[in-house]
Amino acid sequence: MERKELEAKIIGLVATSYDVEESTLTAETSIKDDLGGASIQMVGLVSEIENELDVLVQLQTAAACNTIGELVDKVEEQL
Amino acid sequence: MSLLDQIYAKAKLNPQRVAFPEAENEKMMQAAFETGQEGYIIPVLVGNVEKLKVLSEERGYDARVFEFVDIRDEEYKHTLIERYTALPDTRLKEKALARRMEDPLYYAMVMEAVDEAGVTFAGIDNTTGDVLLAGQMIIGLRPGISTISSIGLCDIPGFEGSEGSLLAIGDSAVCTNPNAEQLAAIAVSACDTVRELLDWEPRCAMISYSTLGSGQGELIDKVVQAVQLANELRPELAIDGEFQFDAAISPSVAEKKVARESRVAGKANVIIWPDLNVGNVGVKLIQQFGHADAYGPMLQGFNKVVCDCSRGAPVSEIKGNVVISAVRAAGNRKGESV
Repeated sequence: MERKELEAKIIGLVATSYDVEESTLTAETSIKDDLGGASIQMVGLVSEIENELDVLVQLQTAAACNTIGELVDKVEEQL
Repeated sequence: MSLLDQIYAKAKLNPQRVAFPEAENEKMMQAAFETGQEGYIIPVLVGNVEKLKVLSEERGYDARVFEFVDIRDEEYKHTLIERYTALPDTRLKEKALARRMEDPLYYAMVMEAVDEAGVTFAGIDNTTGDVLLAGQMIIGLRPGISTISSIGLCDIPGFEGSEGSLLAIGDSAVCTNPNAEQLAAIAVSACDTVRELLDWEPRCAMISYSTLGSGQGELIDKVVQAVQLANELRPELAIDGEFQFDAAISPSVAEKKVARESRVAGKANVIIWPDLNVGNVGVKLIQQFGHADAYGPMLQGFNKVVCDCSRGAPVSEIKGNVVISAVRAAGNRKGESV
């Protein structure tokens, strides 16, 4: 999967998990500062990544990512 | 009869199936066997059954006390996956779920989610983080509840509260700095927990350094907002505040400080701290100065009962927590069927 395609896919999954407009998100969006939210939303995001991309990202790994771009890097490593 | 004796007696009346995904662990298998043999629960050992049976024999247990579930049994696994994915609002789809279920912890939680077990009991080999993640992924949170939290039960010698020497307090262990919405969720969950476990009619006080506007500031504002949110979420519950601790539990102080009708003031049986700093200090004060026995923490907020025991817990403590969890699960099921 191309990087851009993966990025778009993950932005879609972040939008679903955090219940925000997909158009407001970019690779630079800060997961902690811009999206906030509780760990339950991060659990939802990790589950969605498992379901849709068949990749198992540890919760701690995902939670340590500052931006969506960093999360895309972690998923890309597993593909 | 002590609190634990009461809970043990209650467990025997309606023994629940408790899934043990870490039964290869010696202490866990002993706790499962003893609570099963004594009639408090039906222990279901989940894992590699061949290995579990060998270990059970080596350790001198009568295997007839246990039920065994082999995670390599593809037919049963397939049935569980079908039933689980048919439930509303589940997170994992078939393929991801099947992979997760290679881990007995996830397998046991799926059994619990589809009512093949009343409780999953773990935490002796898995970390708290592992158990909480599996719980959030597989069991999920109750509707309207935004955070996991915990309560403890204190048996305080000499305390003459509305439940005698008993007082439920939370959260002293899990949710560090709740916002108003999370604080409301902790209060609602605590009411459900004491009702399930003890059949109490909860009277829940949300604690601050102010009583009904006697002080001002953002720390108080959070508690005031949380009371409002909790009442909106579950108007049938008696949740009130903001109260100082003494106004919550002492009828004479409440009479002086609370100048309006309250179902809670002066007779609270559930205390909700504003954050974990207060909660942790609070429970230590109760233990050190009040010489209380404190039971818990009991996790709450999940759709069903999820338990995490300390990795250093002795068998006696594990047994107590297994039985408490089973009674909560029975109470939870009773609530569902109402």
